[in-house]
Amino acid sequence: MSDDVITRAAERLRTAQRTKVACAPVRDLIGDDLDAAYAVQAALTGALITDGERVVGHKIGLTSAAVQRQLGVDRPDFGTLTASMAYADGEPVPLGRFLQPRVEAEVAFVLGRDLDTERCTVADVLRATEFLLPAVEIVDSRIADWDITLTDTVADNGSSGAFVLGTTPVRPGEAVLSDIGMVLEHRGEAVSTGAGAACLGSPVTAVAWLAGELARRGQPLRAGHVVLSGALGPVVPVSGAGVHRARLESLGDVRAVFEGAAA
Amino acid sequence: MNLEALARTLADAAADRSAVPQLSREYDLDLADAYAVQRLVVDARKRARTGVKLGLTSRAKAVQMGVFDVIIGELTEDMAVADGGRLDPGRFIHPRVEPEIAFLLRGGEVAAVAPALEIIDSRYRDFRFNLVDVVADNTSAAAYVLGPWRAADTDTANRGVVMEIDGRVAETGSTAAILGDPWRAVETAARLARATGLHLPDETVVLAGAATAAAPLTPGSTVEARVSTLGRVSFTFDA
Repeated sequence: MSDDVITRAAERLRTAQRTKVACAPVRDLIGDDLDAAYAVQAALTGALITDGERVVGHKIGLTSAAVQRQLGVDRPDFGTLTASMAYADGEPVPLGRFLQPRVEAEVAFVLGRDLDTERCTVADVLRATEFLLPAVEIVDSRIADWDITLTDTVADNGSSGAFVLGTTPVRPGEAVLSDIGMVLEHRGEAVSTGAGAACLGSPVTAVAWLAGELARRGQPLRAGHVVLSGALGPVVPVSGAGVHRARLESLGDVRAVFEGAAA
Repeated sequence: MNLEALARTLADAAADRSAVPQLSREYDLDLADAYAVQRLVVDARKRARTGVKLGLTSRAKAVQMGVFDVIIGELTEDMAVADGGRLDPGRFIHPRVEPEIAFLLRGGEVAAVAPALEIIDSRYRDFRFNLVDVVADNTSAAAYVLGPWRAADTDTANRGVVMEIDGRVAETGSTAAILGDPWRAVETAARLARATGLHLPDETVVLAGAATAAAPLTPGSTVEARVSTLGRVSFTFDA
């Protein structure tokens, strides 16, 4: 894949984010070349870092059987999280930064040590995890109508938007991660429900996959990084200002408080 | 309209394991008629009543059906399957299974809580029905399995629910999908029983409603549900 194609795909996505006008998919440029898609993502992240942004971790996507079936894939993908995407429980999240936001509830892993082995085991992940937090991930697509294939979403930084972290850490041994219940509430209704097993059988399995994948790509997970491990239930569109509260069994609650109007 | 004839149609469909067209296609049933048919269908089983089950307790199902009230059906002793037991596929038309929470009521009070599996089997073709159809069909009730009972003070809100079929995760969810918290099923069952003239025996099982979507049951498979902190329950659908 030529550098020119990577640059053009990155430029299309960057323009969509800047102007808040969703763009056409990028598969016309990169086809189904996954390495090219990650190269687009790296180009986008690189530009953010040049602008002074800081990488704070990664998100794992496509972790549920239903979503994998829908996209015709058999593995997860990842995106890169930067500091300006992070919010704390209850902190206002301006809708104006998104194009077509959706929310999902997840387990966030916060690492106390580097995870730089290519064959990363769940034991490695649990040893390296300093604590867990409940999280709401706000996914967003720069691509019009979420008309995405695997390479479209990977190029578009794993459809990352922002994330909200709870503020009370829980030690990894204190939650049976495969079995924790999740409910996402909005206006008093349970709009999404699920359990830990929805994420590749257990969120820790997803993190082990990510650690190996990043180590192979020469950009290993580092101490202090946050990993959003993947949705525990169906994703829900955000229709406007208001609160989405995720309740995660054993981990506690976290609220995404949206303000303003979507772009 | 002869409600007894309608009940016979449904009872025969179950006995012959042969699905029938929706009653609502041909008859103009209201909800009271539908519950009257249900009562006749359950009477026709000539088996002791062991409890009740709730249906349409999840927001997802309510939205899908466009119906926002919960419905009630009856359980009889022949529907009960022992935990870890076996079930004969010959009894069903197109069975599905879903993980639930069960309450044991004694004298109207909750005496115990358990994880449960419910086998549903619509007597209608293609599992297609509207509200009155499914009420008349005893809310698709077919069989149920109760796990070990636990103390009544066990917290049941937002417990993770994982249903595995042959060791693979088939469905995942949370008890929060059941009326927000399955404890609400206790009061809801009492209210619906009163409203539909159903007498709850002194000792009654209440199946609170599904925590996940239902999965199709195929012969030869073993189904296990586990509910976080509550326990697990399983059965094998014979080959």
